[in-house]
Amino acid sequence: MTDEGRNQELEELRKAGRPCFQCGICASSCPVFRVAPEMNPRLAVDSVVSEGHVPVEGNEWLCSYCLMCEERCPMGVSLAEILIGIKNISSREGKAPKDFVESGEALLASGCLSPQSNRSDKKRVDLGLPDLPQPDLEQVKLIFEATGAYEVLEKNRAAAKEEAE
Amino acid sequence: MKYAFFPGCTMANRLQFAEKSVRMVVPEFGIELVDLAFTCCPEPNAVRSLSEDTWVTFAARNIALAESEGLDILTACAGCHESLTLAKHELDTKSELKDKVNGILKGMGLEYKGTSSIIHVHQLLFDEIGLETISSKVTRPVPIKVVTHSGCHLLRPQKIMKVDDAEAPVKLDLLCEALGMESLEYMDKVMCCGAGVRKADNETSYAILKEKMTSIMMVEPDAMVVFCPTCYITFESGQRITNRLFETDFKLPVFYYTELLAIAIGLPDTDKLLADHRVKIELPEPVEAKSDKSESIPI
Repeated sequence: MTDEGRNQELEELRKAGRPCFQCGICASSCPVFRVAPEMNPRLAVDSVVSEGHVPVEGNEWLCSYCLMCEERCPMGVSLAEILIGIKNISSREGKAPKDFVESGEALLASGCLSPQSNRSDKKRVDLGLPDLPQPDLEQVKLIFEATGAYEVLEKNRAAAKEEAE
Repeated sequence: MKYAFFPGCTMANRLQFAEKSVRMVVPEFGIELVDLAFTCCPEPNAVRSLSEDTWVTFAARNIALAESEGLDILTACAGCHESLTLAKHELDTKSELKDKVNGILKGMGLEYKGTSSIIHVHQLLFDEIGLETISSKVTRPVPIKVVTHSGCHLLRPQKIMKVDDAEAPVKLDLLCEALGMESLEYMDKVMCCGAGVRKADNETSYAILKEKMTSIMMVEPDAMVVFCPTCYITFESGQRITNRLFETDFKLPVFYYTELLAIAIGLPDTDKLLADHRVKIELPEPVEAKSDKSESIPI
């Protein structure tokens, strides 16, 4: 994505956070803030609007996506949705956490995130569950190709390799 | 009524007994299930965080597949339900996005039209079948005290999900009471189980679970009842990890709702469902059954 595209995307996210008047109900409702106060939803909205990122870069990944903040916000701001946008940008820059990248790899390899195994197949047979029809993996690849997911995975693989070296 | 069944990969590959319980109970209410070649929903946090476009296109393909068969979708996992429902909402309200996605689906001979609806087993049982019909089928009530956890992704955003009240859900409690259980209120009923943070920070995830379990144990339930395989795994297996990390002593049995429904309506082979539970519970005999056997003279 071009710098211009990235800036436009960030501008949209900032716009989404602008109605926030810092009441803090998002923070008092957030299960993550309750145990890990470094992820402060109220300050995160403020920082996205003014700086274009959360106070500590990388903490956007700590959102549990439980949507309590969105449900309770009196101004209809959805921090969880804003953070999805921030995470999309940081994924394209190769900054996604390892386990998230692995989810993407699993989706590409088998079309699902909790893949089948001999053990899971056996359990299905034991319980008399049907064989589930499997998706055409060519269709999975086509979606990856058409939506830029290959580039996202590649960028994150390269970043992981660089870090390992 | 016939539905395209969407068990989701967590249920199909990790919590098969819960899937079995859904497949056991729905025919009792005249429901037929059809299996289609679905991919992952895909998971609402992990995949969508990597790429919104990828997420919505996978979800659209799944929905389009059911549409091509003229079927509505029945989900059994809160995460799958959230992903498919949110994606449908996006596609139905943003025509530009729908056109873009359909441009990709065309290459697979599919088209997203927006004709299929998506309901979770929770909605099928409460909204479509109803408490009265369910109660009328109960032959073996389950007299235990439970707490319920509907799951964040079934409840929020309430204006789109429309499953129950996002702040004070009661429908799963009523479904439990229909089977003879006593449902207990607890402080952090709508709090997350912590699963959503696990990929980013394991310890934070289990610290959230510890908070949730602490709140649950204050009301001393016999078991908890959920409607999502991911929540189930987080509560059941997560308790042991939480105990190790924080020196707690949680050991609460967990049920996926339709397991208890299968037991309460007297279906055979329910022992097979419970065999894979890691925290075991001996379900007490129903009170009515006991009094039938007693020889005391009624006053």
